[in-house]
Amino acid sequence: MIKFLFKGIIRDKSRSILPIVVISLGVSLTIVLSGFLSGAMTDMVDQNARFETGHVKVMSRAYAENKEQLPNDLALLGVDSLISYLRSNYPDLQWVERIRFGGLLDAPDADGESKGQGPAAGIAINLLDASSGEVERMNIERAIVSGALPDYANEALIGDEFAKKLKLNIGDEVTYFGTTMNGSMTFQNFTISGTIRFGIAAMDKGAILLDISAARQMLDMQNGAGEILGFFHNGVYNDKAALAMENSFNNQLKSNPDEYAPQMFTLRSQNNLGDLLDYANSMSAIFVLIFVGAMSVVLWNTGLIGGLRRYQEFGIRLALGESKGKIYRSLVMEATLIGMIGSLIGTGIGLVGAFYLQNYGINIAGMVDNSSMMMPTVMRAKVTPNLYYIGFIPGVFAMVFGNMLSGIGIYKRETASLFNELEV
Amino acid sequence: MKLAFILAYKNLIGAGLRTWLNVGILAFTFILILFYNGLLDGWNQQAKLASIEWEYGYGELRAANYDPYDPFSIQDGHQSYKPEDFNMLTPILIRQASIYPHGRMLSISLKGIPHDQEQLKLPTTFLNPSQGEIPVIIGKRMAAAAKLKEGEEVLLRWRDKHGTFDALPVTIVKIFDSDVGSIDSGQMWIGLAQLQEMTGFKAEATYFVANKNYNHQERKGWSFIPQETLLEDINKLIASKKISGSIMYLLLLAIALLAIFDTQVLSVFRRQKEIGTYIAMGMTRLQVVGLFTVEGNMYSLLAMLLGAIVGIPMLSFLAVKGISFPEVTQGMGVTMAERIFPVFSLQLIAGTMLLLIISATIVSFLPAKKIANMNPVEALKGKLQ
Amino acid sequence: MNTARNFTGKMKKIILLFSFLFLGIMSGQAQDAQIILDKVDKNMVSKTEITESEMIIRGKRNVQTIGSKSYTEGNKKSFTEYLYPERERGTKMLKLEDRLWIYSPSTDRTIQLSGHMLRQSVMGSDLSYEDMMEDRKLKEIYDAIILGEETIDERKTWILELTASVENVSYHKRKIWVDQERFIPLKEELFAKSGQLLKKTTLSDISQIDGRWYPKKINFKDVLKSGNGTDFIIKKIQFNPAIPAYIFTKASLKK
Repeated sequence: MIKFLFKGIIRDKSRSILPIVVISLGVSLTIVLSGFLSGAMTDMVDQNARFETGHVKVMSRAYAENKEQLPNDLALLGVDSLISYLRSNYPDLQWVERIRFGGLLDAPDADGESKGQGPAAGIAINLLDASSGEVERMNIERAIVSGALPDYANEALIGDEFAKKLKLNIGDEVTYFGTTMNGSMTFQNFTISGTIRFGIAAMDKGAILLDISAARQMLDMQNGAGEILGFFHNGVYNDKAALAMENSFNNQLKSNPDEYAPQMFTLRSQNNLGDLLDYANSMSAIFVLIFVGAMSVVLWNTGLIGGLRRYQEFGIRLALGESKGKIYRSLVMEATLIGMIGSLIGTGIGLVGAFYLQNYGINIAGMVDNSSMMMPTVMRAKVTPNLYYIGFIPGVFAMVFGNMLSGIGIYKRETASLFNELEV
Repeated sequence: MKLAFILAYKNLIGAGLRTWLNVGILAFTFILILFYNGLLDGWNQQAKLASIEWEYGYGELRAANYDPYDPFSIQDGHQSYKPEDFNMLTPILIRQASIYPHGRMLSISLKGIPHDQEQLKLPTTFLNPSQGEIPVIIGKRMAAAAKLKEGEEVLLRWRDKHGTFDALPVTIVKIFDSDVGSIDSGQMWIGLAQLQEMTGFKAEATYFVANKNYNHQERKGWSFIPQETLLEDINKLIASKKISGSIMYLLLLAIALLAIFDTQVLSVFRRQKEIGTYIAMGMTRLQVVGLFTVEGNMYSLLAMLLGAIVGIPMLSFLAVKGISFPEVTQGMGVTMAERIFPVFSLQLIAGTMLLLIISATIVSFLPAKKIANMNPVEALKGKLQ
Repeated sequence: MNTARNFTGKMKKIILLFSFLFLGIMSGQAQDAQIILDKVDKNMVSKTEITESEMIIRGKRNVQTIGSKSYTEGNKKSFTEYLYPERERGTKMLKLEDRLWIYSPSTDRTIQLSGHMLRQSVMGSDLSYEDMMEDRKLKEIYDAIILGEETIDERKTWILELTASVENVSYHKRKIWVDQERFIPLKEELFAKSGQLLKKTTLSDISQIDGRWYPKKINFKDVLKSGNGTDFIIKKIQFNPAIPAYIFTKASLKK
C-alpha cells in the first residue's frame, strides 16, 4: 500500500512536488526562525557569557571569592596542565584563558616624558590566535573604531576615548605600569594597533586589550590565568551538561584543601544569570509555539488545497468502485508520506540554515547607530534539540489535518455530485 | 462597500476554525508586539527614572577636574563652594578610602551626601549622626561583595586633606536596594558633614546633583552635565534592543501574514464560482477584488478585537503588577529593575494597529489581484487552475 | 608623669637640669624626648649613605627577595637601583624632594609617579612609595614626649610618643621604643588620627657599623592586612661617602 502510494507520489508530480516544496519551505522556515528566536531571546545571557562568565568558568577558589578586585595574586597557576585536563575530559567545550588586570597607562611625548597618564582596566585574551575564537566571540573586529587588530604580542587595542584622552594615535607607543602577580612593579611598552569602542562608557574611557601572552609576560603570570572560560563548541549554553560538568569537576577537588585549587562555575551560577536564562527560555518557547501555530495554518491550507484539487480524481475512483473509506485512508496515508518527506527535507534545510545563523548570525549593525561597539550587533540563532523535531508538527500534522478536513468532503458529497463537481 | 463588509464578515465567520486560527495567531502577534515594545519602553522609563532618582537628578555640576571615569581624578577633583550660591543643588564629596571587612582590604569610594537631602532616593536619613557611632549606608551589591550585614561594624581608613591617615570603625546602618549599580558597587555613603569634618574639606564638594528647578548658568571651576547627556547610555542600549526586538516580531508578523496570504490564495482558488457569480451579477472586478481584500483585511480587525479582549486585561495586569526580572546586568553597567512595569503608550498601540491593518491589507490584496485578470466565464465554471 | 621616676641616673640628671631650666615637667619631658630623637638621628641619619639591601616580601603565595643598592643624600635625595631578581634588575628609582621617577630598562621609559600612584605599595610590600618618600626629619614634623619605659628583648627602652606638629604628615602619631644605651629605635608604631594602629616597624640585628649602632633588619607590617609584613635587610652600608652629584639627576636613570 505504502509502496503504491509512494509510486503515486513520485509519478504524479502535481500531487507531490508542490506540497513537498511548500512543506519543506514551511518546515525549514519554522526551524530557522525558531532557532533564531531562541538565540535572540537569550542574547543578554549570551553577551554575559562572551564577556564575563563563559558557559562555564574556572577560577581558583580564592580568586572567585574576591573576583570583583581582579586579584591576580590569587590566580590559577599551572594552567597548561589544567587546560589540557579540561580539553581531554570535556572536549565538548572550547577552553580559553583570560586575565583581567588594572594598572596605569603612560603616554610619552617626543622626549620620552609623560604627556598623559590614566588608570587602565586591562583584559588579556587570545588575540593573536584566531582558532581560539576570542576575537570573534568578543566582537572585537566590529568594535574597532580605527586601526586594526594587533598582529604581534607587543601591540594593543585601547578604548577610543582613552586614546583621545592620552592623545594617542595608531602606531604610537604607550607604557603600561602596574604590578605583577607577585606585587612587583612591571613596565611594558605597547604599540597602539587600534582603538576600540565597547559601548560601555567606563571601558571606552579606560580599557586596554592585550594578547594573553603579553599579559603573562608583563604580569609575571607564566602558566597562569585569572580565569579559564569554557564555551560549548556550538556556541550554545547547555545548562544540563554544564551543571553536570560543574558537579563532576568540583567533586573531584572537594577534598583538596588548597585555596588556590580550581573551581568551576556554570553560567547559571554567575551574575544571577540562571533566572534570566529560565526567563529567556520560556519566552522563546512561547515564540516558537506561535511560530509552529502559524506555520500549521499555512500548511493546513496547503493540505486543503491538495485535497481539493483531487476531487475529480476521487470522483473517478468512487465511480470505479473504491470505497469512500479506502479513498479517505489512502488520502491520509499519502498526506502523511508527503508530510514526512517534506518535513525531513525541510528539517534538513532548516537545520543547515539555523546552524548557519548560529555561526554567522544576522548583522544589524547598520540599523543601530553608533554601530561600532561591542554590544551585540549580530543576532544569532541558537540550535536547540527541539529544532530537530519541531518541524514535524506543522509539517506532518498540519498537512495530514488539512488533507483530512478536505477529505471529509468525500463523505459529505454524493458520488455523483463529486463526479460532477469539476465537470469531467 | 457596506455590502463588501457584510459579505466579508459572513464569509470569514463561515470559514470557522481556520479563520479563528488565523485571527488567533495575528492577535497573538499583535499582543506580543505590544508587550515587547511596552516592556522595552517600560524598562527604558524605569531605568531612566531610577537613574534620575538615585544618581543623576536633573543633571550634575562637576568640579572642573573631576572625571567620574577616572578614579585618579578623585584626589584633586573637588572644590570649595558657598552653600548659599549653590541653591537647588545637592553637594556630594568623594574621597578614596579603604575598608577592612573580615581581614580583607577593599578600596572604596567614600561618598559624602547631606543626610537631610531629598533629591536622591538614597536613604540618607539613616546617616543622621546621633547615635554616637559613624553611620554609613551601602548598596546590596557592595554588601554582597564585602560580605557585610546591616548593623555590622567595619574599620574605615581614609586620609584627611593633608594626607594624614585616619581610621575609625563605621556602622552599616542600612543596606539599600537600588537598581542603579553605579551608586552601589565599590562605594560607601556617609553624611556629608561627617566626611567634611573627617577629612577637613570644609564646604567642599566633588559634584552636585541638580534639582528639578535648577537653572544652570556658567560657573567658574564647575562644569554642568545636563540630564539628557547622562541618560544617553540608557537610550542607546534601549534603541539597540528595540531594533533586535523589532526583527523578532516582524518575523512573527511575517509568518502570521503568510498564513493570511495563504488563506487568501486558497479562498480565491476555491471560490472561483463565487467570483464568477459576483461578476455575472454585475459587480465590477475591482469591486470583487475589494471584497476579497476587505475579507482578508478583516482578519486584522478581528485580530485586534480578539487582541483587545485578551490583551487589555492581560497587558493592563502586567502594567500594574510588573514583570519580575532577575538582576544580572551589574557587570555590564546597565540599569535594569528587578520588576519592570511595561508601558503601553497610545502611540505604540496606534502604531501597531496601523502596521497590522496595512500589512494585512497588502497580503489580502495581492492574491485577490488575480481576480482582476480572471475570465469570468471560466471562473463561473470553476475551471481555473 | 610618674614615669620620670624610673629613669636611669644619667637621664635623671638631665631631666632635673632641664626641669629647673625650663617651665614645668611637661616641656622638660618634651625636651628630653627631643634630645633622644636627636641622638637617634645622629645614629640613624648621615649626610650621605650608600646601602646595599634586600627586601623580603611575603606575598600570599610566595616570598620574594629583592636586592637593591641605594644612594642617599640627606632626606631629600635618593637613588635606588634594583639588582635582583632578574625581573627587577636595572629598574631604578629617583627621588628628589617630593617627586619620584621610576625607570625600567625593558621599556626604556622613565615614568613619574604622582598623586594617587604614590599611595600604592612598593613591590607588593607593606610600604607605600609615600612611606619611602617622607623626607623630613622626625623632629621637624613631630612633637615628642616621653611616655614611659619598657624592656624589649632584655633591652631597656624609652617609649616616645610623637604627635604631628605640622599638618601634612601621613601618620598623625607615632610611638617609638628607643634603646636606652644605643639610641636606636627597636620598635615603632604608626597611628591614625583616631588613634587606630596602622603600621608597625620592628628593628633588630643591631650591630655596630663604623662606630655607630645600626639596625640591620627592619620589619614593616601593615597591621590592618594579614601576613607577616616585609623585611628590609641591610647587607652593606657606608656612612658619609662622597656621592657625585650626577647620581641624583634624571639622566642617571638611563645609565
